[in-house]
Amino acid sequence: MAGTSEMIDLKSTPHSLVENFNLMKGLLATYGPDELQVLREKAFRNFTEFGIPTTKDEEFKYLSLRALEDGRFAPAYGATIDRFELEQSVLGPIDAINVVFINGEYAPELSSAHALPKGVFIGSLKDGFTVYEEVILEHLGKIANLTGKLGSTNDERFVYLNTAYLTDGAFVYLPKGVSLEQPIHLIYLSKADHGPLVSYPRTLIVLGENSDAKLLESYLGMDGVYFTNAVTEVVMGESAILEHTKFQQEKLESVHIAATSIHQSEDSIYTNNNINFGGHIARNDVNVWLDGEHTETWLNGASVGLGHQAIDNHTRIDHAKPNCNSFEVYKAILGDHALGVFNGKIFVYEDAQKTDAKQTNKAILLSPTATINTKPQLEIFADDVKCTHGATIGQLREDSMFYLQSRGIPKDEARGLLVYAFAAEVLEKVTIASAREVLENALFAKLKESQDMPEKGGE
Amino acid sequence: MLEIKNLHARVEDKEILRGINLTVNPGEVHAIMGPNGSGKSTLASVISGKSGYEVTEGSVELNGVDLLELAPEERAAAGVFLAFQYPVEIPGVTNTYFLRAALNNVRKHRGEAELSMTEFMKHIKSKVQMMDMDSSLLSRSVNEGFSGGEKKRNEIFQMAVLEPSLAILDETDSGLDIDALKVVSNGVNALRSPDRSVVVVTHYQRLLNYIVPDYVHVLMEGRIVKSGGKELALALEDKGYAFVEEELAAKA
Ligand SMILES: Nc1ncnc2c1ncn2[C@@H]1O[C@H](COP(=O)(O)OP(=O)(O)O)[C@@H](O)[C@H]1O
Ligand SMILES: [Mg+2]
Repeated sequence: MAGTSEMIDLKSTPHSLVENFNLMKGLLATYGPDELQVLREKAFRNFTEFGIPTTKDEEFKYLSLRALEDGRFAPAYGATIDRFELEQSVLGPIDAINVVFINGEYAPELSSAHALPKGVFIGSLKDGFTVYEEVILEHLGKIANLTGKLGSTNDERFVYLNTAYLTDGAFVYLPKGVSLEQPIHLIYLSKADHGPLVSYPRTLIVLGENSDAKLLESYLGMDGVYFTNAVTEVVMGESAILEHTKFQQEKLESVHIAATSIHQSEDSIYTNNNINFGGHIARNDVNVWLDGEHTETWLNGASVGLGHQAIDNHTRIDHAKPNCNSFEVYKAILGDHALGVFNGKIFVYEDAQKTDAKQTNKAILLSPTATINTKPQLEIFADDVKCTHGATIGQLREDSMFYLQSRGIPKDEARGLLVYAFAAEVLEKVTIASAREVLENALFAKLKESQDMPEKGGE
Repeated sequence: MLEIKNLHARVEDKEILRGINLTVNPGEVHAIMGPNGSGKSTLASVISGKSGYEVTEGSVELNGVDLLELAPEERAAAGVFLAFQYPVEIPGVTNTYFLRAALNNVRKHRGEAELSMTEFMKHIKSKVQMMDMDSSLLSRSVNEGFSGGEKKRNEIFQMAVLEPSLAILDETDSGLDIDALKVVSNGVNALRSPDRSVVVVTHYQRLLNYIVPDYVHVLMEGRIVKSGGKELALALEDKGYAFVEEELAAKA
């Protein structure tokens, strides 16, 4: 890859994302078992080998990462956020078992201690190592991994980057048969009040056979300019059920690049609700590997981009086994000069007969200067499958507008309501009531920032 | 009072309403009957302000207000309510939110104070009972996944909440079983009052057994060709629209 003029060659050009590693190497090595250092070194080599992607790279075709290239990000430093501040934040009303991180560092004082069923672990990776080292090492770095999988443009640079700096993060473990009633909330707060910083949140979620949980993963910006590079790995045991909602509300000056990788075993049911309102640049890769028959996968996405935000969602579902169903609905509302990208890959492997995969992508453009780039990518190597995809770039439906207006709701308000509803339909998939309400309020507040949105009255 | 004079309207190049004259006094219920495609829904749409129709001649006034000059929401505020033949589904907006937004806008227009959530819930409680509504429908998205009957019931429920001075019911009876028909009719009858006008559009007489009209009009090819009392509906049921056509032919 070296030699092309567009590439940012990290081997010859100094860059903070590389320099930090040399600075921190000694410190990183003190964290966790020795196996981690092996992972880090290898990932670092891979990252420096490939560098920061440019729009010449297929998987980053529409997303300019100039802000990353040009930025200087210091290693994450500590910041203070007190309980009151967290309670007053948009996340405050969510009632759950909280595990909180500030700039990537575990914040036990903000996290909640809970009596948990026997064998359940919900906390920091570091604490997790003391009880479940074997489980963690069995899965960490193995799920977020495309080696040997289909696809000619697989690009894992930001997973390498995260792994290179792997320190603390969240670990959730549910043993066989446990159904957790209370939702889990992993909260990654960023507060860059002393200059631009980079943090590398890492999350590992392991659900044993027949276990059942609801989990929220929130990224909330409190202050400053920063780069969040997150990786989340999810292991679904046989017949396990997980409702996994990611809520991304980073600061509008920040860069958020995250990968969520899921490994599903037989009969498991996995739902991912991917909600993005924040970030100057927000990129999500959601990769699902279906490694057992009769699984069900639901990928839901709702993004709102305004100003000059760029929100890029890449999803891939690897149907590697027969008789699996996947349903995907991604929606975006884009105003001002915002850019939206949706790339939805579905790979159906040779053996995966009776695959049923349905993908939908819808966007509403609030202004003529907003753009959406949509690319469904279906690669099917089995013959007895049902795969559909559809994309619409919409104006609001006229009959819906008339219906609302005919009941007395003024045109502007009707328009606002329908735009809100377009995304709210996705939020309805979140079944944690307090979280859904928070998301609805956040959506409402977000849309109010738009130049193109009328005030929505009545509240 | 609703006063329609010599109303002509077209869609694209096709003239659909061809000189409608109709006066509905407060307190009266008028039925408009006619074969499929005769222009009944078009008339309802033109009165309530749906776009896509061009009025080429004539006027529509409600209580002296020229409706044709107003946006649909202003017509609603002026007292017009249309129960849709095909109610629209609005995923993502709950019925309660929608209705409260509607009611508060209409109230604002009338110079009345907006209702808080608590006041609103109180306001609708009796209407929910009257319409025999499953109250879970209130927290669901507007019409989404409702059965045909539930949608129609929801229309009349909205009407009960908004208390319009002119209610137009477009084929509210279609797709209703007899029990639902009774509930819907009871709802409409409960709203009959000396200061409210009701126009019931249907092509079956059945509904008119429950909502007994003061006048019946036959609409054919964009014109009201015959008017009479409630017995006219029975005659139509008996002999079909053909007898009106024959009468017209004989006159010509
Ligand atoms: N939006 C439209 N575009 C084209 N033709 C229309 C439209 N609306 C109504 N029409 C036509 O106008 C005529 C009357 O329709 P409609 O008012 O729906 O009749 P009814 O309700 O009496 O069955 C029909 O021939 C119909 O096809
Ligand atoms: Mg009709």
